[in-house]
Amino acid sequence: MRIKPDQKLDYKTLKVWRIVAVFEWLFYLIVPIGYGFLAYYFFFPFWFLYVLIILVFITAFFKIIFIPKLQWQKWRYKIYDNEVELMYGVFIVRRVIVPMIRVQHVDTKQGPILRRYGLSTVTISTAATTHEIPGLEESKADDLRDHIAQLAREADPND
Amino acid sequence: MIETSWKRQHPAAIFIGFLSNLREMIFTIVAVLIFGQSSQAGGTIFYTIFFSLILVFSIASGIIRWATFRYQLIENELQVRQGLIFRKRRYIRQERIQSIDINAKLIQRIFNLVELRIETAGGGAEPEFRIIALKEEEAQQIKKELLSKSKTPTKDSKMDNVNGEEEVTNEAIGTSNEEQEVITEDEEHSLPQFHWKLTNQRLFITAITSSGIGIAATFVAAIATQVQQLIPDEYYERAIGWLLHSSVLIIGFWIVSILIIGWLITLVSTMLKYGLFNITKNGDEIHITRGVLEKRQLTLSAKRITAVRLVENMLRQPFGYVAVYVESAGGGTKEEDLSTVLIPLCKRTELNKILQEVLPEFAVERKLEKLPKYSVRRYMIRLLIPTAILASVLTYLYSYGWLAFSLLFIAGAIGYWQYYDAGIGRDQKILWIRYRILARTEVIIPRRRVQSMSFSQTIFQKFDDLYTLQASIITSIMGKTFQLRHIDRDQKEEMMEWFSYEEISQFQDDSEGSQ
Repeated sequence: MRIKPDQKLDYKTLKVWRIVAVFEWLFYLIVPIGYGFLAYYFFFPFWFLYVLIILVFITAFFKIIFIPKLQWQKWRYKIYDNEVELMYGVFIVRRVIVPMIRVQHVDTKQGPILRRYGLSTVTISTAATTHEIPGLEESKADDLRDHIAQLAREADPND
Repeated sequence: MIETSWKRQHPAAIFIGFLSNLREMIFTIVAVLIFGQSSQAGGTIFYTIFFSLILVFSIASGIIRWATFRYQLIENELQVRQGLIFRKRRYIRQERIQSIDINAKLIQRIFNLVELRIETAGGGAEPEFRIIALKEEEAQQIKKELLSKSKTPTKDSKMDNVNGEEEVTNEAIGTSNEEQEVITEDEEHSLPQFHWKLTNQRLFITAITSSGIGIAATFVAAIATQVQQLIPDEYYERAIGWLLHSSVLIIGFWIVSILIIGWLITLVSTMLKYGLFNITKNGDEIHITRGVLEKRQLTLSAKRITAVRLVENMLRQPFGYVAVYVESAGGGTKEEDLSTVLIPLCKRTELNKILQEVLPEFAVERKLEKLPKYSVRRYMIRLLIPTAILASVLTYLYSYGWLAFSLLFIAGAIGYWQYYDAGIGRDQKILWIRYRILARTEVIIPRRRVQSMSFSQTIFQKFDDLYTLQASIITSIMGKTFQLRHIDRDQKEEMMEWFSYEEISQFQDDSEGSQ
């Protein structure tokens, strides 16, 4: 049985994911607020408002606290000489193998929140697919990018 | 040598451009028609202005495009200038040309003209280039001029350029091989290596077994509902009343007649589309010509075929017929909805013989390993649950909705069938997977064409320790992913090992340590 990849993401990635999740969750608030207006002006039943509020907070627990934690725990990657292997996912666990000779380019990128925590995402592109290692420490991400690029260049096209 | 002056296209290009402008705007027009229906007064004025603007704009842009588009052929270079405000010049050197196809679509045929489509190597922003209206002789002449010289590599300077390009170098090797063959068999040079054509009988079978019936029937039904709006209300109401009072039999009659009309439409359109279907293989180039009303030509390079797909729809499978599609890295056309028909119809038994000639890489004896027995459960549940939900909703909404629960039998049967036909196999270099959605499909992919492979497991699959295999390849427009659901752990491990570019021992040692 093939061994699982063992490299983890940076711990701070979890924080970033949670912050992003909070922002996304704010949009969910529109539902109870909207219903609140309806209840106030059009006399919709108030009890349902409380149901909505409770639902929104349950979602918050899952979306912000529970799921990112699992996601972070599940994320693994490993860079071999001839291929990259990724493994991730909570409800759907996915293992991806990307051969070095198929890698077309490797990039690093960071959004404002990742930058705030000094993190970067490594993007590995083949001619058909794009794969990400989200959230590595900046210098590590840069090293990894250069390392993969180097391996991809050296890979034997006749293999 | 051809005269060295700039030439315009045939003036019919204005009309052709105008029509294609209209076609591009069809969605806008339809959207305006649908959403604009509610506007009351001033509606007609708005429509008049809106449509005349569209017409004027389309005609004007057609004229401008025709007037500013000029081309000339100098030695072995096609030069093009175009654009009114943003002028663009494009020089297409013959070494860069991958293929030249001459198409005659319906509009071009009205004017007795053709369209010249040139595909250039190395991607770039616009790998495809078209001259939309010119006389057939002229197109043939350009094609001859641009292709013929590249076959005789006499100019040393040109060859040096060629060697700079990886893609083109391959091509050059291909032609030089061909040259060697030519030396041995001189007469054969102009003769194609392999020729295949769709016989009329097969064409007819293709047409009557085409699976486009469903689409055509939906289309007919959609039109039928639109027609209702044109019929005056009283007739309509009377008809509805009559329909409500009439028996199930008559509604059934309507459904059947819509299906028959749909089937006839598919029959005719398939005959027109695949009539005169010809494949010619010359070296690495596969030329496909087809079409009765619209004549189309397509050149594919055998080197760039990334996968072959064998499709047996439900009507064809019992008779042993199969359609062959190919995925190509560049080269296909956008109209062919992402993959190209290589063989519209052939017997399953003839398949390997034809593949041997056209795409020898893919012509392997394919033994199929079935999926584990317990995966049948997953295949069936996947279809049964949505059906059950749908049936429950229908039961709740309509008085005879519970009849929908009979669909469960169909769903279950299809699920079992999907399991029954699914399978996987491989040899050293090639992977093949077979699956069924409705039509049975077998995909053949060489290992070196797989860009990445993934193995996923949903929480439901986890109960049975099953996995989904996904293999991604390049196609003409974007990547494409083929998947096989519910393979077992051993199959997954085997596939990982097969695809992995690492030494196997490295994993084995470690796993022994961890077990």
